Amino acid sequence: MKNKLIELKDLTKNFDDQQVLRGINLDIYENEFLTLLGPSGCGKTTTLRIIAGFEEPSSGEVLFNGIEISKLPPYKREINTVFQKYALFPHLNVEDNIAFGLNLKKVDKSVIAQKVGRMLKMVGLEGFEKRDVTLLSGGQQQRVAIARALVNEPKVLLLDEPLGALDAKIRKNMQSELKKIQREVGITFIYVTHDQEEALSMSDTVVVMNNGEIQQIGSPTDIYNEPENRFVAGFIGESNIIEGHMLQDFLVEWDGFRFECVDKGFPENEEIEVVLRPEDLDIVSPDKAQITGKVISVTFKGVHYEILVETEYRTYMVHTTDYAEVGRKVGLSLGPEDIHVMWKMGAY
Amino acid sequence: MKKKKSFFARFYVVICLAFFYLPILVTMFFSFNSSKSLTRFTGFSLRWYNELLQNVEISKAVYVSLSIAVMATVISTVLGTITAIGLTRSRKIVKEILLNVNNMPILNPEIVTAIGLMLLFSSIGMRKGYVTMLLAHIAFCTPYVITSVYPKVRSLDPNLANAAMDLGATPFQALIKVIVPLIKEGIFAGALLAFTMSFDDFVISYFVSGNGVKNISIVVYNMTKRINPTINALSTIVIVVIIIVLVVVNLIPLLARKNTVNMNHRLHHVIGLAAAAVLIGVMIWLGAATNGKHVLKVYNAGEYMDLSLLEQFEEENDCQVVYETFESNEMMYTKLAAGETYDVLIPSDYMIERLIKEEYLQYIDWNLIPNKKNLMEDVQNKSYDPGNRYSCPYFWGTVGILYDKTVVDPEDLKDGWELLRNPKYKGNLYMYDSERDSFMIAMKALGYSMNSTNFDEIEEAYQWLIEQRDTMDPIYAGDDVIDNMISGNKAIAVVYSGDASYIISENENLDYLTPDQGTNLWYDAMVITRDCSETDLAHAFIDFMISEESALSNTEEVGYTPTVESAFEEMKEGDYAGVSSYIPDTENPNNEIFGYQEPKVKQHYAELWTKVKAQ
Repeated sequence: MKNKLIELKDLTKNFDDQQVLRGINLDIYENEFLTLLGPSGCGKTTTLRIIAGFEEPSSGEVLFNGIEISKLPPYKREINTVFQKYALFPHLNVEDNIAFGLNLKKVDKSVIAQKVGRMLKMVGLEGFEKRDVTLLSGGQQQRVAIARALVNEPKVLLLDEPLGALDAKIRKNMQSELKKIQREVGITFIYVTHDQEEALSMSDTVVVMNNGEIQQIGSPTDIYNEPENRFVAGFIGESNIIEGHMLQDFLVEWDGFRFECVDKGFPENEEIEVVLRPEDLDIVSPDKAQITGKVISVTFKGVHYEILVETEYRTYMVHTTDYAEVGRKVGLSLGPEDIHVMWKMGAY
Repeated sequence: MKKKKSFFARFYVVICLAFFYLPILVTMFFSFNSSKSLTRFTGFSLRWYNELLQNVEISKAVYVSLSIAVMATVISTVLGTITAIGLTRSRKIVKEILLNVNNMPILNPEIVTAIGLMLLFSSIGMRKGYVTMLLAHIAFCTPYVITSVYPKVRSLDPNLANAAMDLGATPFQALIKVIVPLIKEGIFAGALLAFTMSFDDFVISYFVSGNGVKNISIVVYNMTKRINPTINALSTIVIVVIIIVLVVVNLIPLLARKNTVNMNHRLHHVIGLAAAAVLIGVMIWLGAATNGKHVLKVYNAGEYMDLSLLEQFEEENDCQVVYETFESNEMMYTKLAAGETYDVLIPSDYMIERLIKEEYLQYIDWNLIPNKKNLMEDVQNKSYDPGNRYSCPYFWGTVGILYDKTVVDPEDLKDGWELLRNPKYKGNLYMYDSERDSFMIAMKALGYSMNSTNFDEIEEAYQWLIEQRDTMDPIYAGDDVIDNMISGNKAIAVVYSGDASYIISENENLDYLTPDQGTNLWYDAMVITRDCSETDLAHAFIDFMISEESALSNTEEVGYTPTVESAFEEMKEGDYAGVSSYIPDTENPNNEIFGYQEPKVKQHYAELWTKVKAQ
């Protein structure tokens, strides 16, 4: 097991009379790429600002290498941040922006020049030393911001929605580049985003937050495949969420159908919710499935079709490469691994 | 069509420029005048620049104005910038309230701020002077800085300061290395505004200053009685300084672009050094000013003393004289009543009578004044202070008619004061804008006492003045009459004898008449206040002023008639030989001295005079 680097213990934060964090507990490990994911207002940015030192928690502790730091000002922390709109210093050129932290520490000029050069190479901006930062493109500014933070060799890099202002294509490139940089420098990245795709593709660990609380912590696959509640399931990808009962271990019932599943440990007859990912459902002929219905809409999505199937009880969304025309009677087949049983929201 | 339009556009620009710059050019032009006139150019000379350099009062005032402006600018810029930055981080409601509060001093009439500050300093018992003036300037400059810095700060990414601290900057470093460079245009604009506001402030400075500390505006204001081209010379220098500053300010960015780093560093050093030099200078000056010496506070009418005498007195007695001037006796009384303390005052007869009545004065110990023997008989033991128990005469004279010999028919002079109602000279005369003197003229013309409290007689005098106003179309002038008469702009003016002597010495076409109907025979005298803390020094000062040498140089400089026999005789034969106004008419039994007026009577006169002037 890797070493714990940062521990958040029972963090709460109130702004005026509004509670934005309601007891955050989180362990962050060395070399981890951790993403705080959630809709706007969920408290993810506040959590990040508390780690950076721009906010003090109303209660709770922030431990860094086991030492409480929640009262330590930002300039005394071994943590650097890449800001949402980069917050580059417009009066300084690229080189001076990157060298800002080193200059403050009175590092030798030749060492600074060497380090800045290495950073520029890493982010692919060689030759940009004397450029005016306000004249750079969004992607280039982003790279300068990353270089400016990393040149200080922090133990942790915080990134606050750093790709939010970029267009889709550059965003994809930057995602893989960030991941590459993280592996190269080998430090902890704490990344804040509301984009679930970004979170799943880059992170080692995803922390889903909503309404000031952590909903689920896990690897991208865990989060996607085993969402712990309706919120996570709804926020991560598209899902069919169905209310039902857990009859006993490995047997679940909804709409009068009974299915085998892989979940256990619920009380008998517990009211639960079932998540069915659209891509896990298959369209078969009506006689080969328990669930049957009629196709009411077909949309071409590029790689697959999105087909809506209306049954007696509800409408299912299916993602499939097979085509089925509107009006056709179909059956929906699913295996035990395709069924994800969750606790009902608010039941725990 | 198009051509026509551009002609009007150009014409408009020319008119605007002329309107802005002609007054300045005229001011600069007359600073090189060889004579004293402000309106008639007689030849090129640097005389007034020379006088400016030798005028201790002005060079002190320049120093006060500059040092106050520099320090007020630096301090208010720092305060205002910090406040503006803080404001952007405050809650919305706090921000809005503070911004509105901040606008109040800017929108407020200056006089309200001035009186407020004066009362504040008085109520906390602060000694008025350099420090109070500096504090007041900081107070009224800061809102301007906030107003010009705040929008700049608001336009910044709020994360910039966080970014700097994130990279290891302390809050102070973040401020200096990131925030300040980004808002420097705003700071600079604010500082420039603060400097100009402070440098040319009059109203507030006038009310909060005291103890002889004067800036340029106050000195110029006090000089207006005997306005001369020294003011033009001073203005010209100020204008040139401002032009240089503007040129430098506009050149710096151009130069800085060429070699960024070096220039910035050098500039910082220069600014730092300049600020330090000013601060040190001020401290030395303040230190020198209060070097444990005895201090004598003298309060006199403006332009009414040869100031080199003060230096001489300071040297002889190893003391410091704080010299302040007033516009009118009433203004002096107001300051005294407001609790301001002085040692020696030089008011007029009727005011002395009032001060005696209200117990503001103490007896003069004539044993301490051996030069009493120099005084003329004619000026002693007058009705305002029988036996001269409280006062020592300083200057004296009459009020009379100054007329142009080449215009006024000698026959008409026989009418005395009625000359002022002779339709021949309609539109060709100045009355003196003074309630007492105007009513004196009317009373004397009618054959009444000028101290009359009979409301019927006063009513008659009022009618006399109304008639005169309607038939003669006179101009009710102040001290500008001096320059106008020297320039020969009108034929007749009512003036004080001392001013008349001075005017006649500059324009030989003029002569002075004191009508047989009688006039105001007035005396200004030195008195010692009841609260005087330096009675020995005060007596020494009075004795010094009536020494034969002092009295002579004083009358030479000021032009009024001295109370010292030898000086009077010498001037009568010398500089003012043949100038009738220099010799007050003491023979005429109709001449009177103004006496104390009951408030009720005074009020009545004031109301009537307002009506005369309201047309």
